[in-house]
This record gives sequence, structure tokens and C-alpha cells, in this order.
Amino acid sequence: MSTGRHNRATTAGRLSVLVGALSVPAFVGVWELIARSRIVNAVLFPPPSTVAVAVLDWIHSGQFFGDLSASLFRVTVGFLIGTAGGIMLGVLTGRFRLVSSLLSPLFHILRPIPPIAFVPIVILWFGLSEAGKLFLVVWGVFFTVWLATHIGVQKVDRGLVRAALMLGTPRRQMLSEIILLGALPYIVVGLRTAVSISFYTLVAAELAGAFAGIVYRIEIAQQNMQTGQVMGGLAALGLLSFVADRSFAAIAERAVWWR
Amino acid sequence: MVAMMYNPLRPTPPLRLVDAAPEPSSTAPEAIIRVEDLSIVFDVPRGEVIAVDRVSLAVMPGEFVSLVGPSGCGKSTLLNAMAGLERPFEGEVMVAGKPMLSPRPDIGMVFQQPHLFPWKSVRRNIAHGPRALGKSKTEALRIADDLIDMIGLTKFANAYPHTLSGGMQQRVAIARALANQPRVLLMDEPFGALDAQTRAVMQDNLLELRDRINATIVFVTHDIDEAILLSDRVLIMSAGPGRILRDLSVGLPRPRSSAILTDPAYLALKRDCLDLIRTEGRKAFEQMEAVT
Ligand SMILES: Nc1ncnc2c1ncn2[C@@H]1O[C@H](COP(=O)(O)OP(=O)(O)O)[C@@H](O)[C@H]1O
Ligand SMILES: [Mg+2]
Repeated sequence: MSTGRHNRATTAGRLSVLVGALSVPAFVGVWELIARSRIVNAVLFPPPSTVAVAVLDWIHSGQFFGDLSASLFRVTVGFLIGTAGGIMLGVLTGRFRLVSSLLSPLFHILRPIPPIAFVPIVILWFGLSEAGKLFLVVWGVFFTVWLATHIGVQKVDRGLVRAALMLGTPRRQMLSEIILLGALPYIVVGLRTAVSISFYTLVAAELAGAFAGIVYRIEIAQQNMQTGQVMGGLAALGLLSFVADRSFAAIAERAVWWR
Repeated sequence: MVAMMYNPLRPTPPLRLVDAAPEPSSTAPEAIIRVEDLSIVFDVPRGEVIAVDRVSLAVMPGEFVSLVGPSGCGKSTLLNAMAGLERPFEGEVMVAGKPMLSPRPDIGMVFQQPHLFPWKSVRRNIAHGPRALGKSKTEALRIADDLIDMIGLTKFANAYPHTLSGGMQQRVAIARALANQPRVLLMDEPFGALDAQTRAVMQDNLLELRDRINATIVFVTHDIDEAILLSDRVLIMSAGPGRILRDLSVGLPRPRSSAILTDPAYLALKRDCLDLIRTEGRKAFEQMEAVT
């Protein structure tokens, strides 16, 4: 009886693993069949094989790595600057009433404006320079990280702070150790959201006009009606943000090392 | 050893419940803790709460004093004032001759919850205080290791707090407070969250520990047994607003262990205490009835 149930359970488990592994290949296969059957316009819906060729051409032409590094640079540097600023100000507004009264109302007004809406003014301010692109990514990341840190700092166990006070912990160490690590679980959640936000804002930044980058390449391909290249670009972007999110999740798990 | 536990300045007849010498103690120059006419008031949405109402008391160096009273009567607030975590609204708190306006490392505190730093191992939790006071890492860890041996957690030196039981965590919290060699150790219902068995073991541990350290201890509890077992003096507080009703000397001989909990002399003492608390409790209750 029980072994029978056990067998049925493992069979169902194996089956779902198998179906899971076949999901993407099956999708690609069906797409290939439909695109080749001429039910749809092959220029607008090229088969996966055409997309693959476009991607290989992209790599062989030498443009791919230039585009990849341009986009990676914007996302990474923007993320780091936005994160550093967000954590620093989040600790200050979370910990000091006066700083919070000064800055929080302003931040709460600016935060809900979608970063993409800043594209026009960023072009006015920065033209098509790299600084403008970084500005957009930093802007998007900053508010998310600031809010997560601000809330995290306010939720730090008061008992921990009191215990630290009783032990003579200097002010500086109170902020840099007790408050920061106490808030870390919240900050890490904010950082993970900020990873995907940095990719959203990257798209806006590159669409606004650039000279290299994955999204820039997608836009050029669109203007030339190279649909295969457009889809290849989307796949590259998807893969990149997927890898970024997953590696960040792995890092985050270790960041809160005491749990 | 036993003689050392007694404060020679405060001779008390053994095995009897007596009122301790009243006023002179609060002006005696050698008191290490002096609380004078202390009131603490909290602003709450619907007005004010008087948590501590004109309390005066004195604690002699080396003494073990318990504060006993129903929950909400202001024991924690009074203790926090001695710790410098709460400012006086009126009156004054002096420890070692200086007014308490903010926490000081010569005063240690153990809370009801261990409040260990979850990101630090047992060793580093205990070393935190000495490090914060500028001791070298080696020196701080040496102090920590000595204390870890003393609390019997040698095997757990590198464990993280969440892997320890509640009793073990609280022992670490005590060791962490002792690492700065405080002259005064304040304990706020430190065993209140533990089960009865662990609590009894911890009480015995504290009695032993007390013989080895040189600190004056103020211990908050709502458990009469615990107060009598551990203390030289028991201060009984009224239901809020917090005032001290009685200042009782415990004349039981030391060294003590939880074995005395069945001693007839101890039981007589406890009965007297309970009578007092019951009468006062009824008074407080009737007062409340009258008000409402
Ligand atoms: N931070 C605070 N704000 C407002 N009221 C408080 C605060 N701390 C304590 N109180 C009030 O003061 C009274 C005494 O509290 P407390 O000292 O914690 O009592 P105990 O430790 O004896 O249980 C209670 O009525 C409590 O509600
Ligand atoms: Mg309390």
C-alpha cells in the first residue's frame, strides 16, 4: 500500500521534471513549425533558426561584445552608485528624525514617478552622454534601496540597540554594525528588486539614444526590419537579467549569513 | 566565604523578615546606587502615564537587591533609569557618585530577552563590549574565552546564538554584560522567559557566579521565591504608579542554593512576603474600583 503510493508519487515527480525539461524545446519547436508553415508572415515572425543565425552573425561581427560590455557597464555602475547612496541615506533617514523630516517627504514625492518619465529631461541635461544613462539607472535603483534601508533601520530590534548601548558601543560602530546589519535582511530584499529595476531603466536609457548596447542594437535592427536580430537581442537581454537575478539571489542568501 | 556575602554595615537578624533600616541608608555616603525622589512620566496618546512615582532607594556596594512587583508597576522603568536608558522626569539617580543621564560601561544590563547580536558567534558577542571600549582583539577574545569557560559553554564558543537554547542564550547575555567588568549589574527578569527547570538551574548558576564577580546586583522579578533565594534585600513595589512599599532584609545564610526553597525558615519568610503583597494588592484593587 504505502510503497504503491510512494511509487506513484515518485513517478509523478519524474514526469513533472521531464515535462519541465521539455517545456522550452517544445515551445521553440512549435514556433519553428508555425513560422515555416507560412501561416504567419516570416518577416515579422522569423523561425528560431533565423534568430540563431542572426545572433551568430551578431557575435561574429564583433559588435556583440561591445554591446554587452556597454550595457553591463551601465547596469553595474548604476546599480553600485544607486545602492551606495540608497543605503547611506536610508541609514541616516531611518536613524535620525531630523534628517528624515528633511529628506523623506521629498523622496516620497519623487519615488513614485516612473524613472522612464525622466528620459526627456535627462536628454536635455546630459544629451546622449554616458552620464545620462547612468543617471537613469542610479535614479531607479536609489529610491528602492533607500526605502528598503529606511524601513529596515526602523525595524531594527530596539533591544539590540539598547544592549549595544549598555556595552559602550561607539556611535559610529552603532551605525555601521548594529543598525546596518540589523537592517540587512530588509536591505537585501530591496537590492534584489533593484536588480530588475536597473534593467528596466537600462532599456529606457538605451532607447533614448546610445551608440552601443544590447537594447540599442535591438532598436537599430527594428529600423532595418531585421526581426531575427530583434528577437536575438531580446533573448540576450532576458538571459542577462535572468543570470543577474539568480546570482544575486545566491549572493543574498549568503549575505545574511547568520540565518 | 559566607561572611563576605554579608554586608557588615547592614547586620540583620537571620531567618526573619524585618524592615530594613529606613531613611539613613538613602543618605549614607557609601551607597553605590542612590535614587532620590525619582519620578518618570511617559507621554501617551491619551495623556500621561506615571511609571515611577517619587521613589527613593539606596544600594550598598556588593549588595544583591531584588525589585518585586506586579507587571506594569514600573520595575523595568526604574531599572532603565539606573542604566541611563531612561532620563528622570523629576529627582535623581546617582551611580558611583555620578548622575545617570546616559548608559555607562561600568554598569551592565541583562534584559528579559537575551538580545544577542545574531550575526556574531558566542565568543564575539561576549568580546563585543571590551572591543567597543578599545581593548585589542586578542585581549577581548581572551576575556571572552574566560567567561565562556565560567558559564560552561566552552563547546559552543563558535556557535551562533540562534543555534542555542533560551537558557544558553541568556547565559551568554550575562557573560557579555560581565565582560566589561561592570561595578553594577542590572538584571530585568532575566529568567522570566525560561521554563521552570532551566530557571532553577540558572538561579543556582547566578548564585555561584555572584561569588566570583565583584558586582552589585539589582535584580527585577515578579517571582517572590526567586527574589528571596537570590537577594540580600527585597524591595516590594506597589501596583502602578510605581512606588516602593517595603524594604525587606533577607536574613537567610549564604551560600544558598535552590535547596533552601523547602527550608521552614524560608517558607515563613515567603508567607510574610505574600501576605504583604496580597494586602497591598487588595488595596490597589479597591483603589482602582473606587476610581472607576
Ligand atoms: N516607553 C513607554 N511609553 C509609554 N508608556 C510606557 C513606556 N514604558 C513603560 N510604560 C508604562 O509604564 C508603566 C510601567 O512599565 P514597566 O516599567 O515596563 O513595568 P514592569 O517592568 O514593572 O512590568 C506601564 O504602565 C507601562 O505601560
Ligand atoms: Mg518589565
